[in-house]
Amino acid sequence: MNNNKSKRALLGGSALALLGAIAAPTTVSAMDGASVLQEKCLICHTRTGDPEAPYSRISQQRKTPEGWHMTINRMQRLNGLVISPQEKQAVIQYLADTQGLAPSETAPYRYVLEQQPNVVEQDIDPAYVEMCARCHSSARFGLQRRTEAEWKLHVNTHMAINPTTELHALARDRSWYDIALNDTAPKLAKDFNFHDAAWKKWQAAPKPELAGRWSVAGFLPEQGDYSATLTITPTSNNRFELTLDGHFVDGTALKGSGKAKLYAGYEWRAQLNVNGTKMRQVMAASEDGQQLTGRMYQVGRDEMGGEINAHVGTAIAGVSPAAIKQGAVQEITIMGSELKGNVSLGRGVSVEKVLTRDNDRIVVLARAQKNATVGARDVRVGQSRDQQALAVYDQVARVAVVPAESIARVGGNGGLVPKVQSTYRAQAFSAGPDGKAGTADDLNLGYMPANWSVAPFNETAEHDKDTKYAGSIDQQGIFTPGDAGLNPERKFSTNNLGNLKVVASMGEGDEQVSGDAHLLVTVPVYIKRAVQ
Amino acid sequence: MTFSRLFKAVALMGAASGAALLTGCAANPMAEQGMKAGGHEYVLTVTRPNQLHIIDTETKDVVRSCDVPGTFGSGSIASSPDGRIAYVLTAGTEKVVGFDIRNCDIVFAANQSINGERVKTFVSLAVSNDGKELYTVQNPTRKLNDRYDVLQPRLAVYDTAAGLNAKPLRTYPVDRRITKIAVMGDGRIVLGGADLTAINPNTGEVKMLSKIQNWNRAGSWVPPDAFAMFNQGEHVGEYIMPYFTIKWNGAPGDMEKAEFWWGMNRIDLASGEVEETETVPFEFIVFNWITDPLNKDILYGAFNQLSKHDISKKETVAAVDLDHTFYSINMDSNRTIYIGGASSDISVHNPDTLEKIASIQLTGDMSSADLRVVKLH
Repeated sequence: MNNNKSKRALLGGSALALLGAIAAPTTVSAMDGASVLQEKCLICHTRTGDPEAPYSRISQQRKTPEGWHMTINRMQRLNGLVISPQEKQAVIQYLADTQGLAPSETAPYRYVLEQQPNVVEQDIDPAYVEMCARCHSSARFGLQRRTEAEWKLHVNTHMAINPTTELHALARDRSWYDIALNDTAPKLAKDFNFHDAAWKKWQAAPKPELAGRWSVAGFLPEQGDYSATLTITPTSNNRFELTLDGHFVDGTALKGSGKAKLYAGYEWRAQLNVNGTKMRQVMAASEDGQQLTGRMYQVGRDEMGGEINAHVGTAIAGVSPAAIKQGAVQEITIMGSELKGNVSLGRGVSVEKVLTRDNDRIVVLARAQKNATVGARDVRVGQSRDQQALAVYDQVARVAVVPAESIARVGGNGGLVPKVQSTYRAQAFSAGPDGKAGTADDLNLGYMPANWSVAPFNETAEHDKDTKYAGSIDQQGIFTPGDAGLNPERKFSTNNLGNLKVVASMGEGDEQVSGDAHLLVTVPVYIKRAVQ
Repeated sequence: MTFSRLFKAVALMGAASGAALLTGCAANPMAEQGMKAGGHEYVLTVTRPNQLHIIDTETKDVVRSCDVPGTFGSGSIASSPDGRIAYVLTAGTEKVVGFDIRNCDIVFAANQSINGERVKTFVSLAVSNDGKELYTVQNPTRKLNDRYDVLQPRLAVYDTAAGLNAKPLRTYPVDRRITKIAVMGDGRIVLGGADLTAINPNTGEVKMLSKIQNWNRAGSWVPPDAFAMFNQGEHVGEYIMPYFTIKWNGAPGDMEKAEFWWGMNRIDLASGEVEETETVPFEFIVFNWITDPLNKDILYGAFNQLSKHDISKKETVAAVDLDHTFYSINMDSNRTIYIGGASSDISVHNPDTLEKIASIQLTGDMSSADLRVVKLH
């Protein structure tokens, strides 16, 4: 997904990099959380007498802020916990800080915290797929650390709360409970070890200082690429105000402001208003404090979001489009922050005219020579350089639709659950030195505009007229599924489900090239969790 | 695979929970209406939010609807031998309530979640041949201050005359994962789970009837995926547990050469005779089967299609598309087919032509509910 070469960023001057100076967190809110925990949680949980693990069940687990949030929600829903929002927040902060996960422990599973749609989890141990990850993501348990005894008690929680678990396909054909208790729990304790040294090491490490100005680049499905300056101002311990000030690639201003919380010294969670739309940021600060990376998405429409990357200091954050055809004259937008100095687009590509210029955005009219060498070149603005950021190509030889596998969900139509859209981008490639498309030396030209359409995925979809009922795609590559509910026009009055290809086409006539991705239009999700 | 996913969807139902209150019978203008005895047949089913409906097989009219206390369970129903009392699993499958179907009076109630336990029953509901005992399979857990205990499942035996606060007379340990149960002619109870076993409700002795997941076939057969969420078969006195299996004709996993089969374990409840056989090649999903009383080799199945199969030839004889997805199927003594579950209408069909001859609209969705046929005496 992150193979958009235009998203590479370059660090600027070393003085500004000092903004990423490190500071250790203070413990004021942690103390608050500790006392709330004792007051609220020890009504049921007991003291173990072990100073290393003082409370039953609680002290034998580590997880993300979202994980602790879900646990406390469950205590409220099922076990009669009465807790104010402020108290709840204090306990989540305390537990995420003192019994959280190290950056290295969350790294493989960021997608689930970021609410990324259309992730197909790969290479999961079949033992986990059959026992656990057939109902929820593998990230759900991958983002937890428990002792073996605690993993076993967690199996019992499943049996008590979801008693039909052992009747599902891939459960009823085996002694699910015995396997879960005697095989899966010990394996989890080994693979997701409570005592993993990573956490102790991270607890002892200096934490990133986030206050200051950051150079941001990102993408949103409805508006496209953007660049901005993110300004972070601390308000209290682990609490911040932020502003986002920049432009979308088409020149539209991007203005945002909001508040953020920081957990475990690196987990950034912001709620902000961007051009009138409520959005969330889920980012992780790098251990060296030089980057914040993650995703920004609309509140209530998780699928409408995209990657966001923030770097300390000046940088070219992206070039859009990231390719120019031999002999072509076209506008190219360079995004970043503190963009000062002359623009250079590399050998064979000249800047005809600077059309617009801001601190975070320069639009130029560029001309590629007819005989410019095919390949990528660096883009420079003054002292800033973005390596291999602009490609010159002869022709688009291949189009890849991203993501390759996707899901949209019917909704609306008077029901409580809204439609879940899906969004696509078309990634272009030229054939590369071997002249053959689809080989390893294809030249990545980045994302390009395309003509979007849907087609039946197979004969059954064609026969059932899925393209007529399942939904439609617009020219921004945003697919909107059909209404929820039985459709009497369809065979068996079935829902507006469908099995489709999302097709992106570029070029005309003989030069037309297209690519496709798989889209399943399926049923709504009625229960949505912070960690699915 | 799709097959498994759909079964799973059904398994997920009936997990709701909630407190149960005895609310008495529904105010229904039909309540005073007389019913025919002498073996006249009625179809029983449950709809959401939680009503037991009594439908006359002759007129196809809903004669009476009784409010079931508590939140919807699985809609499982067992009937007394005289057809008068319908026992309904309710309150998130934690409670059984017995109704006199002639007037909606609640004559029996057993809250299974007592003594600090939370007890769920996965459709396992049956009445003894003399009507004096009610059987459930209980799946208990216990909530402690900060953890749950998972307890041994057990057969619970209730006295049907115990009234509105019935407690088990006795219990016996059984395997996990038991769903459909039925009482045999000799009084033992068929337990359908990983394998088919029979338990003596007086001694707790369990004997193997038919191995399913532990079957002893040669290596080219995959141990079957057997599952039953719906009770039926009373029209011929039998118990059917459908299964799905694969036969590898090439290397295990070679789908090109593999055969995909429906199969069944069928028990003649009177004689105790057990069949285990592949029925027809897998062509489409069938949720439940019933046997034609005129010919044991003819089965009818329902899901998206109503289908007719001749298992002596291992072939599907006929299939008609249904208006939508249905789950359950049953038959009265005129061989009229009733197809229900899932949505809010019962589809009525001619067994010879499979033609739809009537539709019975109900007030809510049946979802996982049983469709039972009782003879009222």
